[in-house]
Amino acid sequence: MKKILLTLLFGIFLIGNTQVFAQELSPERKQAVDSLALEKVRDLSKYIKIVGSKETPWSEANRVIDRAEELFAPDAEIGVSSLASNEVMYYKVRKYLERLMRLNYDRVEIDWYKIEYVSDLQRQPDGTYVGVITVFQTFKGFDKEGRLIYQDTTKKDITVYVKRKETQIGGRLIGFWDVLLGDMRVKETSLK
Amino acid sequence: MNKFLRICTLLILGMSVKLSDAQVYTNLGNVQTDERAFYTMTKQMSQFMSRFNYEEDQYGKKIHPDSPDYRNRMKRKTVLPLLFDMENPRTNGSLRDFFISDLTQADSNYFEFLGGKWYSEVSATFKMNGQSVDISMIFAIEQENLGSKWVLTNVYFSDFSKLFPKGDIAEQQKHFLHPMSHELDFMNIHKVFKTPECIEYYASKTYSPDYLTLFFYEIKKGNLVFEKINSEKFHVFQIDNWYFEVSWFNRDGMNTGWLISNLIFLKDNEKEELLKFYQPNINK
Repeated sequence: MKKILLTLLFGIFLIGNTQVFAQELSPERKQAVDSLALEKVRDLSKYIKIVGSKETPWSEANRVIDRAEELFAPDAEIGVSSLASNEVMYYKVRKYLERLMRLNYDRVEIDWYKIEYVSDLQRQPDGTYVGVITVFQTFKGFDKEGRLIYQDTTKKDITVYVKRKETQIGGRLIGFWDVLLGDMRVKETSLK
Repeated sequence: MNKFLRICTLLILGMSVKLSDAQVYTNLGNVQTDERAFYTMTKQMSQFMSRFNYEEDQYGKKIHPDSPDYRNRMKRKTVLPLLFDMENPRTNGSLRDFFISDLTQADSNYFEFLGGKWYSEVSATFKMNGQSVDISMIFAIEQENLGSKWVLTNVYFSDFSKLFPKGDIAEQQKHFLHPMSHELDFMNIHKVFKTPECIEYYASKTYSPDYLTLFFYEIKKGNLVFEKINSEKFHVFQIDNWYFEVSWFNRDGMNTGWLISNLIFLKDNEKEELLKFYQPNINK
């Protein structure tokens, strides 16, 4: 609910009044949309950390997976490859997070680098804007004795869809930009 | 070369001084991690374009089009060398310097997303009659309605190419239907089908095989089944008198991500022939 309200407020902040219903994004608006998209990616990174943590109770992890799924378009897929194999394994968002939850380590550490890169937004034929946000994550898996038994650094390229939507508030039609995450490509990088 | 190394060192030093203020070191458990390599990595093709045109600074921050720094020629000159694969002599020598000086001589020659004449080559594995085969698919950006999309413009599959060998001219000239064949109800037409390997010699001199249609046909017939993508790279013909290729480099160090992996000085009139491979219908 808080998120919906924030999105609406953001839309109102951008538009000011309903007469200005511009489809084009100015550089200033693009910047504001980028921030909103980054906010969603940060939510996702937070959720991944919670789901991956062995200290998170099962029921709580499942509740967080539900929240994470809501960030994505319904048909979004996650494509994963490693340095050892170029082959891309495809997962639905829930499946990907459930796998993360069930990893066979005694303790895991998931951290994110501060660097985030947001591409230019391009329009697809139906007018929806599409962009890609790149983030980097480190993963460490430890055994019972606390020994590090697996680690990797992955580059995550996340599709972001930005769509113009309208809603009625107090009888007035308000336009706002809605952001939804799409397919995510997870690639292991040799940079550690 | 020495000048180039000096510039790179200065840039990397400059970056480390700036970043060391606050953001280079992130706490990963109890490990201090240096993030400079992630900053220097050209992380997306979108970033490659922004760096190529100097539309973002070295920290990845977008430069507003009204800013005097936007597409600043001098700054562009210092960033461009970082976009080349430095481990390849072909992209790390005088040809590169010549290219950069050509690019920065005037306020033109920018790499535009919707500027056309750039292609993505996706190498993939398919199954054909139970055997794994490699096929390269060529894609181009096409504008449609409110935006744009990637469209398939051609494929390269050695089995298709082998079906249409160039053949020598003398052999080609032996195969024709004489101009009075119509008076004989084309009774001589059986000759055309007796030598199927030469059948295309009976077509017009303007004929060229359409590999994309063959590809679609085999897919529709179920003879070709997609398996996986192996790699992706880009071919850029947009810059006057130059062609370059951009590939992904996943390796240690400060020279990683999307980088120029091949560079050729190519007069615009020479490009036409090459472009026919990437986009056979480019002039239609």
